[in-house]
Amino acid sequence: MFVILLISLIGACVMPLAARVIGRGAGLVIALLPIGLLAAFVSMAPVVERGWVLGEGRNWAPRIGLDLTLRLDGFSFLFCLLVTGICALVVIYAGGYLTGKPRQERTRFFTLILLFQTAMLGTVLAESLLVMLLFWEATSILSFLLVGFDSRSARARRAALMALQVTAFGGLMLLAAVLMIGHVLGSYSMAEAVRQAETIAASPLGTPIVACILIAAFTKSAQFPFHFWLPNAMQAPTPASAYLHSATMVKLGIYLLARFEPVFAATGWGRGVVVTVACLTMLVAALQALRAENFKSALAYSTIASLGILTLLVGLDGPAATVAMVGFLLAHALYKAALFFCAGVVLHATGQQNLRALGGLARVLPFTALACVGASLSMAGIPPFIGFISKEFLFEAQIESSWETAPLAIAVIVNAAMVGVAGVVTLRPFFLGGAKHRELRNGESLSLVAPPLLLAVAGLLISLDPDWITRVALRPAVAAVYGRAVDVDIAVWHGLTPMLMLSAVVIGIGALIVRYWRQIHIRLRGAERFDRLALEKLWERSLRGLMHGSRALTGWVQHGDLRRYLLVVVGGMAALIAWSVIAAGAVPRLPDAGTLRLAPALVALVGLGGAVAATRAQSLFTAMIATGLTGFSIALTFMLNGAPDLALTQFAVEALLVVLLTALLMAVPLASPATRTPAMRRSDAVVAGVMALMLVAGIVDMAAGPQGSAASAFYSEMSYLGGKGHNVVNVILVDFRAFDTLGETMVIAMAAVLARSLLMRRGRAAQEAAQPSVHFSFQAFGRVLSWTLLAASLVILWRGHDQPGGGFVGGLVAALSFALLSLAYGVERAERTLRAGPLTLVGIGMACTLASGLPGLIAGRPYLTHLWWEPVWFPKLGTTMIFDLGVYLVVLGAVLAFLFGLQREATK
Amino acid sequence: MTILYALTGAGIIGCAIFMILSRNLVRMLLGLSLLATGTNLLLFLAGRIGSEQPPIIRDGAKALGVSADPVAQALILTAIVIGFALTVMLGVLVLRAWRSGGTVDAREVDAAEMVGPAQERDDLHG
Repeated sequence: MFVILLISLIGACVMPLAARVIGRGAGLVIALLPIGLLAAFVSMAPVVERGWVLGEGRNWAPRIGLDLTLRLDGFSFLFCLLVTGICALVVIYAGGYLTGKPRQERTRFFTLILLFQTAMLGTVLAESLLVMLLFWEATSILSFLLVGFDSRSARARRAALMALQVTAFGGLMLLAAVLMIGHVLGSYSMAEAVRQAETIAASPLGTPIVACILIAAFTKSAQFPFHFWLPNAMQAPTPASAYLHSATMVKLGIYLLARFEPVFAATGWGRGVVVTVACLTMLVAALQALRAENFKSALAYSTIASLGILTLLVGLDGPAATVAMVGFLLAHALYKAALFFCAGVVLHATGQQNLRALGGLARVLPFTALACVGASLSMAGIPPFIGFISKEFLFEAQIESSWETAPLAIAVIVNAAMVGVAGVVTLRPFFLGGAKHRELRNGESLSLVAPPLLLAVAGLLISLDPDWITRVALRPAVAAVYGRAVDVDIAVWHGLTPMLMLSAVVIGIGALIVRYWRQIHIRLRGAERFDRLALEKLWERSLRGLMHGSRALTGWVQHGDLRRYLLVVVGGMAALIAWSVIAAGAVPRLPDAGTLRLAPALVALVGLGGAVAATRAQSLFTAMIATGLTGFSIALTFMLNGAPDLALTQFAVEALLVVLLTALLMAVPLASPATRTPAMRRSDAVVAGVMALMLVAGIVDMAAGPQGSAASAFYSEMSYLGGKGHNVVNVILVDFRAFDTLGETMVIAMAAVLARSLLMRRGRAAQEAAQPSVHFSFQAFGRVLSWTLLAASLVILWRGHDQPGGGFVGGLVAALSFALLSLAYGVERAERTLRAGPLTLVGIGMACTLASGLPGLIAGRPYLTHLWWEPVWFPKLGTTMIFDLGVYLVVLGAVLAFLFGLQREATK
Repeated sequence: MTILYALTGAGIIGCAIFMILSRNLVRMLLGLSLLATGTNLLLFLAGRIGSEQPPIIRDGAKALGVSADPVAQALILTAIVIGFALTVMLGVLVLRAWRSGGTVDAREVDAAEMVGPAQERDDLHG
């Protein structure tokens, strides 16, 4: 079966190319593919006939339970015959139908149709529910493409979208159902799901599973209230309508329902819902079929009614219902496809669809008229056509089922309406109304009339000699659906039975409908209520509402005001913390008070004061100074609490920030007009205050917790023994957590590259920046100080491993020396003194950092494990020094890239 | 002492948030710099305070005696440098915004918002 699917897929891609080369006869050539597939399936008939099930499987993605499993049983077999057989006819017919289209379009049509055939075969052959879902969705998408085949027509596009929206919505429901079944059973096998139907229904997910399956089936098979997409889908070219929207795809819903019948039957409400929906669908569709003005929509509504009947039969219990379902499935596929073909011929010949405007075509389209009569007789259920037999079964099933008479009564009425529609669509265009059409745009051709005639004849032959099809397809199909073999006795004459009486009643009412169709039709058309209550409108309105709603929501959420975004983030964070604290009912613990040392306390308060001053400053310059004040007092705080490394770094950073931000402030306006109203400032203050309160509570509570961490203890212990360094902070940075530091260095390097590209000077020959006018004493001192700082930075770098210092601090201090130089003598001079470009330094630094890990790697240790060389006569040397030197250079280069760029840009 | 530092750190962060909520880009930038400072102080508290001894192993000793927590310091050290780079990077962006748009008001820097869903795209079905 894999081979068949593969051939079908490859053929679908290759065969239609014939339409590019061959003109008229292309359909006949391309039809060889479906005919071949049909033959392949027929050759498997002996297996299916015995009631065996053919299975094949491949591993696909075992970890997620996705196996590529296929199986062919009686029910699948019936579908396969229909899919391939009708596909062959459709392809032949399309060859004649699309004569007016350019070759490219025809090729596209054939490709889509053949791909659709593959998708259908895949759906009905799939055993794994996931595989079935995959093909199921493919049919939806191909249906979308075929309905919208005439992509220049707005109506076709609208219809295609509607079909896709409805069926894809059903597909999502099916996906949900499949996933839930997988969750309940732990397997995606369809056979397993059917075997354990009781388990599924009894599980807590039982109700949602059944609901999702029902919705999926109802959308695909156009059941009320999702039926509206099908009449619109008639925008598709007629061969596609005949194939997808009457004979095969819309029956997938029935297929799904029939397969999962045990599951929904196991719930108390499943059958009831199915029967009710089916009855509603039949009534609505029958009324609309009589209202329909044109040929194809009358057929579309009658298709919906037929699908309703099929759904009803699936919903009813008892073996007779299954027999009737399978029989009607076959009969309907045969006659409805034929009628669509006839409608297509009429449309093709006259360009006219309106039933009232057509008439007397039998004289000019004799073979079409003949086929139409044959198909209509079958549809009306007149003996000896197959439609009659299936109708007998339908009534038998209803009489035998445990249901009340309501469905039976509805079925009688609907069938009568079907007789009416069959009569109208045959009599009116072909026989009544005199010869309205003398001039035909296109006449009949062999490929146009052969397919409907074949189908009509098949409908007759099967009922007269039902032996082969019953044995090969119908009986195994019934057995597969019903779960055990059922005796299927197909014959035209069963004697005088209640079913025959009902048939007579139906035909009688139907004849009356045909007689008075014009009056009924005009009365029904006059009733505006149908148009107003159309679900189609509701669907469109809700879609439009969705668009408007999402636009309004986007406007509301995505307002573009940074302040409100941040307010939401900060406020949300504060609320989350508050909620978690309150929900836990926790009261913050208080740490030991300790002694209050005066000097550190004062320093901290100065820092806080600086921050407060920064918020209140009118001038940005004042705000910057105040921010710097906070930074320096925090640096002092680090100093006072045993963190000289941090203090050094923070000092250097604050000094550099002052230099860099001054350059920025020289460019932008210093006085900033108020950007917030007083009310906004108040609400911001409240949010900030609440956040601060939460932080205080959290930190105080944390500080009261147990002290010391295992990591700290380890590093304190191992720093000298493992890293050969006395300064634990530095050893952690360059050795234990060197990978982290490497990453951080890289971030700084990237920031430097980014800044460089943003501040790139356009036109190198721009004005030479004039020397800044500064006092000569600053220049004199600046030079000395700058060289001193540079020397100091090297000392800091060198001794970092054992004393406070290291690459980060060293790089910052070195940058400071150049900052001083550029303040005293201008940027040009500072750049000249540096000799290399800042980014060159960054690059060399990055290379050093990366390379420092290699010796360790060569020595067979993990990357960035540092090696040491400790001669007695010389200070110890290690690869950490290369690492730290790299950090030093990257930081120096990056800061200088910022510094030079900003200063140049600011003085422009 | 811990409580005082906690109040200081949280207070600085509160001020920083207040400044970040401003719509003046330079003020936001200063706020972010303050935020980094306050966060570093709180991070420092996470390593506990108490010892004034820096985490440096004395000569002759093999392991660290009583001292401040080295891990928190190592984290903060890189955080200071990264925070610095972030602040300066923002400074560069603010300068570019000023040079190209002539504004440091966040409300007027809205080029990205304009890239959002175009009106006509919504009207496909209308």
